[in-house]
Amino acid sequence: MKDKIFEVLQRVGRSFMLPIAILPVAGLLLGLGSSFTNETTIATYHLGGILGEGTILHALLVIMNKVGSAIFDNLPLLFAVGVAIGMAKKEKEVSALSAVIAYFVMNISISGMLEINGKITADGKIASDVLTGTIASVCGINTLQMGVFGGIIVGLGVAALHNRFHKIQLPNALSFFAGSRFVPIISTVVYMFVGILLYFVWPVVQNGIYALGGLVTGSGYGGTLLFGIIKRALIPFGLHHVFYMPFWQTAVGGTMEVAGNVVQGGQNIFFAQLADASHVTHFSADATRYFSGEFIFMIFGLPGAALAMYRTAKPEKKKQVGGLLFSAALTSMLTGITEPIEFSFLFVAPILFAVQVALAGAAYMIAHMLNIAVGLTFSGGLLDLFLFGILQGNEKTSWLLIIPVGIIYFFLYYFIFSFLIKKMNLKTPGREDDDQEVKLYTKADVNAKRENTSKNGEAVQDELSELITRGLGGKKNIDGVDCCATRLRCTVIKPDLVDDALLRSTGASGVIHKGSGIQIVYGPHVTVIKSNLEDYLETAPDVEYTKDNIDSMEETKEVQEEHREEKVTKTITVSSPITGIAADLATAPDEAFAGRMMGDGAVVTPQDALITAPEDGEVVFVFDTKHAIGFLTDSGLSMLLHIGIDTVKLEGKGFEVLVENGQKVKKGDPMMRLDLSYLSENAPSLASPVLCTELEDNQKIRLLKEGEIKAGEPLFAVDFYE
Amino acid sequence: MKTFDYVITDEVGLHARPAGMLVVEAKKYASDIMINKAGKKADAKKIMMLMTLGVKCNEEVTVEISGEDEEKAAVEMEKFFKENL
Repeated sequence: MKDKIFEVLQRVGRSFMLPIAILPVAGLLLGLGSSFTNETTIATYHLGGILGEGTILHALLVIMNKVGSAIFDNLPLLFAVGVAIGMAKKEKEVSALSAVIAYFVMNISISGMLEINGKITADGKIASDVLTGTIASVCGINTLQMGVFGGIIVGLGVAALHNRFHKIQLPNALSFFAGSRFVPIISTVVYMFVGILLYFVWPVVQNGIYALGGLVTGSGYGGTLLFGIIKRALIPFGLHHVFYMPFWQTAVGGTMEVAGNVVQGGQNIFFAQLADASHVTHFSADATRYFSGEFIFMIFGLPGAALAMYRTAKPEKKKQVGGLLFSAALTSMLTGITEPIEFSFLFVAPILFAVQVALAGAAYMIAHMLNIAVGLTFSGGLLDLFLFGILQGNEKTSWLLIIPVGIIYFFLYYFIFSFLIKKMNLKTPGREDDDQEVKLYTKADVNAKRENTSKNGEAVQDELSELITRGLGGKKNIDGVDCCATRLRCTVIKPDLVDDALLRSTGASGVIHKGSGIQIVYGPHVTVIKSNLEDYLETAPDVEYTKDNIDSMEETKEVQEEHREEKVTKTITVSSPITGIAADLATAPDEAFAGRMMGDGAVVTPQDALITAPEDGEVVFVFDTKHAIGFLTDSGLSMLLHIGIDTVKLEGKGFEVLVENGQKVKKGDPMMRLDLSYLSENAPSLASPVLCTELEDNQKIRLLKEGEIKAGEPLFAVDFYE
Repeated sequence: MKTFDYVITDEVGLHARPAGMLVVEAKKYASDIMINKAGKKADAKKIMMLMTLGVKCNEEVTVEISGEDEEKAAVEMEKFFKENL
């Protein structure tokens, strides 16, 4: 169970990487835009000339600010879609669409409840008795503020519904709505009720958090610590706004008389003092205790965490995660936007988040104790430090103290993160097990298959998919599969390999050819057929069926029966290096070859003088007697091309070799020219074994073609079993 | 480790078919069996490696056998070389 939770969390975390990747850019836009369009900033530094309203730079910054905000404001939606895509096992695009639908449905049904109960007035205004910050506008819908948490509820739920229902079969009359089309429908219904339920549940959570505020106000340094810890811990739930805004903006955060006016809220007090800077000896740290500490861990601490994650990433992934972590660290330092970096470890390693919450919480307290009073408009990045710390001077802000504390914080984060990541083998970015997902898939798939076979005869479906695949000329011939209301629409590479009769036998009422497009008419249940076919094609051997080789396929199938229980994990196709007549290796007129002593493969009797490279690869060696070539394909197969039987005795006569040892060649490059008339007179046989010499026990040869073959056509396949 | 030297008498040298037979024989034993010719070394269980040596008639090879069944393997391999190569 614990493993299962961990595994799900890890998948969730991984699915966050897509939306997280946009955050650093959005953060920079938002940070730069909002800092330099802040009226107080402009007025304080007399920048009205270049940044004041009406200047081009101001317009640009306003737009940057809005673009950045749009992404942050809609973060819940991005997470809903991102998580749904990441968690869906198949047909991810369907779950993405469903997530968008479910997200709107959930919010509008919350909004409906709010309106019915008078929390929102009919003209769309928020009623006056509603707690500030608890209702927010999401894509134009007034709904409960749930932050990213709301998006995650949608993403996880929709993915679960999708995985459960995307193959559902419905009675014939409704079959148009079956399969993947059912997912948006069920999501809509479910999330309507989820929305109604949340209307009752969420405000309880919000009120509880609001009440926590009371605890903080009364106490001194301990209160600041508590504030810091709670604020940081609430970030993933989007609840921090409910929590900190009162401290920043209302009397909860304290009151002070500045320049003759009573000012409420920490941030307001700071800016009032800033406006009246000439009369202030030192800004009030009691007012700034709700944010000054952020500079410590945003500029110094979290970049230390990023470095730790980078240093502990697998060497081959460092480059890849380096970009993500570096930009996330930069965003945190520059703008004080920490979501990109926090979300990169929050879900994959919750313990690291606990460390972050504790350290960051302590930072608020330390800043309070050291009387650091640096204000901020937005968040604790270098931009705000510069404007409201450095430019204000150390006498009034004690900003210099941030640096030594920050350096200590950097190392604290770095060492604690490194230690925990290594000790507990946490799967932070760049440390994921690559094959894990694949492994989980196959295991789950196998189990699901087993279950279905016993339950409702899924095996029949698979056989159907196999027949369709064969009718379309094999997996190798299929370029794409899609469907409309009643037809399976496939794109094939060679239309002439399509076997209409075989396709009709799969229950199709018609087969329509349009160039390389093949439409097979099944009726409204086609979506299920398509899903099954896609599943089947994922694991099917990558071969091509022609009318000639179907019979031989049947034969080899018997041989394969014994390997049935094992699964083919990989197939490499080897093409013929020779134009001539292909046959089973057992027919070679030499018992050593026929007995597969040298390896397994096929025998081709040449009818054309030119021998070409069967695949891309390397000529390992050419015999002194020129009659055989050792070859290593780029796919890793060691091959022997042995021209004729007993031709070693000809001592090179009749052969002209066009390559040398170690030469790299491409498929189809000429390697050897034969004097066919000389050879047929002087060699016992021209039958030429084409072999894989170093096959492992789990690698089997499957002949793909018998009879006439052209150089470059698939000759045999090597199937890799589990 | 056991070793023995042998001069190939098969007129085509250690070529595809003889090499194939050698591999089949070598694979019977758990020991590592290496064939040395003029400083080049090849695993007797890998046909490609063997053929890369390009051993010809009248050339001498050194066979090195090491592993748990090396005693038995050395005796049998020497016998195999004499009979077939």
